[in-house]
Amino acid sequence: MESTPDTLGYMIAGYVVLFGLPLLYIVSWLVRQRNLEKDIEVIQTIAEDNKK
Amino acid sequence: MEKTTRNLQILNIVTIALMIIATALVFFYAPTERVMGQVQRIFYFHVPSAWVSMLAFFVTLVAGIVYLRRGHRGWDMVGSASVEIGLVFTIMTIISGSIWARPAWNTWWTWDPRLTTYTILALIYVAYLMLRQGLEDPDRRARFAAVYGIVGFISVPITFFSIRWWRTIHPVVIGSGSPSAEGGFDMTSPMRLVFFFSLFAFTVLYFCFLANRLRLERLTERVEQLKMKVLSA
Repeated sequence: MESTPDTLGYMIAGYVVLFGLPLLYIVSWLVRQRNLEKDIEVIQTIAEDNKK
Repeated sequence: MEKTTRNLQILNIVTIALMIIATALVFFYAPTERVMGQVQRIFYFHVPSAWVSMLAFFVTLVAGIVYLRRGHRGWDMVGSASVEIGLVFTIMTIISGSIWARPAWNTWWTWDPRLTTYTILALIYVAYLMLRQGLEDPDRRARFAAVYGIVGFISVPITFFSIRWWRTIHPVVIGSGSPSAEGGFDMTSPMRLVFFFSLFAFTVLYFCFLANRLRLERLTERVEQLKMKVLSA
């Protein structure tokens, strides 16, 4: 009877990808959100300056 | 920044809980497959990732149809957000599949019908995002993207049925596939439970991602509106 092969390393690598990519994607949202919030602040400052 | 709505917060918490349970089931409940060993556990997240990618592109198809009929900008946002999410899950599927293939097929990659059609599908939706980037006028962009999302969806059923239509080494999870398939296995009851639970958890994860991504899209639109207001003042 054949013994079960040791494929633990491949499993770990697979799950690093399966968890890592969505986490990176979430980080990209946070970065984009922060940049947009900065943009809003800048635009509001410009709008206030224009009023003066 | 608009406040996260209570419903979205609940969805985020439920999704995290489901993903934790799915992960625990994969590692502590599902039995180790005898022929492939531990690497078979990739299957429990690999197949749901592929399912979510196809679901995401289906949502883009529906959003495109509704946009063309009603012309509401919100549907364009849904279509574009869904493609972005779909591509993330497509890349997850391709890479995790390649890692599984190394011990199962003794190669990282082969131009098998499923792998080839899925790669073409990924490139089609990368082109969707490039098309959007290349169009300045929002209405024109939304219209072109809607049509592209509808036509591009043809690649999804072709990819799905490729392992049933053509001779392939990619295993079929449900139903019968090509006799030359390698790496397939019969699911025991605990394996089936873990698989279907993961499928459910990933479906909820998709809607959670979509809701969060749409929130970001609305913020982007608000910035665009503010810019226009300042420029026209």
